[in-house]
Amino acid sequence: MRLSTRKLLDRAFSTTGFFAIALMLGALGIILVPMFKRGAGAYVFRGTIEHRKVEMQLFERGDLEALREDMALAEAARQPVYDCLLEFRHHQKERLDQAIDAVERLGERDDGLGRRIRRSVQRLREMQDLEQQINLLIRLEEVTRRQNDPALADDLDLIADVISDLEDQTTLYGEMVRHLRELFGPLPGDDRQIMPRDRFGQTRWDRTQVKLQQLLFVESWDHSDRSRMGESVSEPRKQRYLDTPLYPVFDEIETNIEAMMRPRFTFYWRFLTDVSHDANIFGGIGPAALGTLYLTLGAILFAVPLGILAAIYFTEYAKPGRIVSLLRTCVSTLAGVPSIVFGLFGLAFFIHTIRVSPSKSVLAGSLTLGLLILPTIIRASEEAILAVPQAYKEAAMSLGAGRWRTVLTVILPAAMPGILTGTVISMGRAAGETAPIIFTAAVSIGMGLRPWEVFDNPTPALSWNIYNLATEHEAVDEIRHVQYGMVTTLVGIVLLLNVFAISMRARISKKLRG
Amino acid sequence: MTDNHATTSATDAVASPDLILGAGASLRKNVAAKIGQGTLFSVAALATLAVLFIFFFIARDALPYFQARGVREFFLSRQWYPSRDPGQFGALTIFFGSAMVTVGAALVAVPLGIAAAVCLSDVMPFRIRQIAKPFIEVLAAIPSVAYGFFALVVFAPLLQESGNRILTIAWWALATPVFMLLVAVMSDVMTTTITNRKAAGVLRGIATLGLGIGAFWVLRHVGLSLQALSIVTGANALNVSIILGIMALPTVVSVSEDSLQAVGRELREGSYALGATRAEVLWKTVLPAAGSGLFAASMLGIMRALGETMVVWMASGNAAQIPTPWYNVLMPIRTLTATIAGEMGEADHVTGSDRYHVLFAMGLCLLMFCFATNLAAEWFVARQRRRLRGE
Repeated sequence: MRLSTRKLLDRAFSTTGFFAIALMLGALGIILVPMFKRGAGAYVFRGTIEHRKVEMQLFERGDLEALREDMALAEAARQPVYDCLLEFRHHQKERLDQAIDAVERLGERDDGLGRRIRRSVQRLREMQDLEQQINLLIRLEEVTRRQNDPALADDLDLIADVISDLEDQTTLYGEMVRHLRELFGPLPGDDRQIMPRDRFGQTRWDRTQVKLQQLLFVESWDHSDRSRMGESVSEPRKQRYLDTPLYPVFDEIETNIEAMMRPRFTFYWRFLTDVSHDANIFGGIGPAALGTLYLTLGAILFAVPLGILAAIYFTEYAKPGRIVSLLRTCVSTLAGVPSIVFGLFGLAFFIHTIRVSPSKSVLAGSLTLGLLILPTIIRASEEAILAVPQAYKEAAMSLGAGRWRTVLTVILPAAMPGILTGTVISMGRAAGETAPIIFTAAVSIGMGLRPWEVFDNPTPALSWNIYNLATEHEAVDEIRHVQYGMVTTLVGIVLLLNVFAISMRARISKKLRG
Repeated sequence: MTDNHATTSATDAVASPDLILGAGASLRKNVAAKIGQGTLFSVAALATLAVLFIFFFIARDALPYFQARGVREFFLSRQWYPSRDPGQFGALTIFFGSAMVTVGAALVAVPLGIAAAVCLSDVMPFRIRQIAKPFIEVLAAIPSVAYGFFALVVFAPLLQESGNRILTIAWWALATPVFMLLVAVMSDVMTTTITNRKAAGVLRGIATLGLGIGAFWVLRHVGLSLQALSIVTGANALNVSIILGIMALPTVVSVSEDSLQAVGRELREGSYALGATRAEVLWKTVLPAAGSGLFAASMLGIMRALGETMVVWMASGNAAQIPTPWYNVLMPIRTLTATIAGEMGEADHVTGSDRYHVLFAMGLCLLMFCFATNLAAEWFVARQRRRLRGE
């Protein structure tokens, strides 16, 4: 090969390496940056008046007087919309009255039909529900039309007209009311709702925008081109309301939505500690965060003492031999066991065999996680102990200290920063693991546990709830901000632990180098 | 003054009963020391024998399945209907799914990981290496459920909507330099035997042109067929393979880098002294010497991908099927880990049923595979160490 080609190959080789590293860092950026950006939106966002209502009613926080004023302003801004609804109702009533008048005219005859119609008119006037009235009208119209009486034809056509009008309008009205309820919460005159999601409108300005778009535009799928996938087409909804009193609502809402929702910059740090209401639609992630804390601490409490003792044995006491090498192989195998198998083992052993708790519990989960991080802790502690200069040990020994005393007073204190580093990294691992706790500790919904309840109660945990909310929640798209907030919280905790550990390790190595 | 102080502390030390040379050292102390050592041994043994416990308890719950239903159906049948009565437990499709994403992840992680490790250990200046390594560790520390969330919420919709465009761009961006390099090298190799410099130059030009046209045709052909792909669902084997590959990268990188570092300066310097370029030193000397270690790194990476649960559970589509054709990575598949995670919730209510035990059987298979891989990886690392020591 020519020298130039060899040089070219050499360059290509180096470039490949740089490319691989760049790709890795790029992947890190692509995964983390948008995640943190959207996750921050769970804590810092523009909260609407509804958010403040939620805080007041579900958490009893905030200034009641200020909220009242705020609400009054919002209600005043919403009033024109409500007026339109009322007018629409009124309009429908008038139309219905025309029909009832026509029916009354039909009833001016002396046979059985006339009597029947007169009775029905009575009932029509007493009824309150528009749908029932329409149904009764339909039946009357059918019965009368069967007479085939040409004299009745005009009135019957009028009634048929009104019926089709009213039916159309009722659908339109229902559609509008559904969207308005999603935006504003219950409308004036609605019954008191039980589910929190029916009691409040949109709490976030970004969600408000989305809902507003859904109100303003109808999205449909265009499948006319068979060869391609359907494309979404959106058309303004107000065209459907052209001749109704609801027509102005659209412009009113579009221009005045800020006054109606009164968004305000909100720093909701309590997202981390608040309990969740109505399956995470309102509130925060407190119970899950607390559960993760319990599980992590439990795992550390179990694994660190065992791990350090084992490491002391391996480094200071063990003589090379068959048994020790078997034990070492066990440690490395343990490190390679898939996390889901740890979950199975936790279920079969901790829960079904030695019954640390009747069913899932934080204790069983902590033990399982502890087993999972044990090899990491043993290895980190071993490395830390081996990194202690031999001179320390020899000095202690030469002063007449026994082996155990040397370990306790000289080696362990010197190795402690290293052991701590390993412990912190394993904490991050334990906090982030999901598979081992699925069968042993995690539930989707639950209250935060008090410390003495951890022995026989399962708990929500961040890692499990991320899975649960992202895949099994009934309104996955509505609570993206909660999902992102959870992921960001979990990743943030893990990264903080790691950054702490890495910087600590850098300091130790600097110190050892002198 | 100092002397005096030293003497007192020395006498203190002698008087102290804990010291082995002290007056208090006695049989009793020796026995205590032995007991202490025994305790330490048993703690170490307990901590490490946990793995035997895991084997025992997984196997204990897995065996009833094999006793009741035999081995044939589990490994050979494609009918996975555990909730039917009687249930059908043919896990072939699930084994296939696991194998597929694992191979896919290995294809992503192994070349990239080894390239990155080579770059870190031999190409990059020391300072940049110090900066880059913590980032790789961070990549390893991100919880798997976060990767799964990314795969499901961000990557899957992206792949579904503009997957063909992404694949096409990736193909052009990755394959063009590779093809160009190939053309340059091949045209060179084809004309090295010609001694007449002028003729060689002309011939080389012709060869480059011909090969270049051929390469461009292949590039364009593949690019166009990628462009024409329509991806029905973003939750598929490709998605999962890429994400698992990224997750396995840090393992591959750090183990590979260790083994590259272990090769030592002498081999490298010897090669450089013979006039090799850096690429030749690495390709012909260092990589073969580190071969066993690199193989171990790949195996550990593969193990990580195979044992991963959350990403595949969330983003693989969870359809127990063998794609048609079998290499179609754009179809949803299902893996062992996801099956265990997904079905244990329902199976646990009927503890002791076949449905419960079959999941343990899957766990046992995973465990065995990881155990074997781990032992093999360890053996390869040990072999590299032995060889480098020259034994």
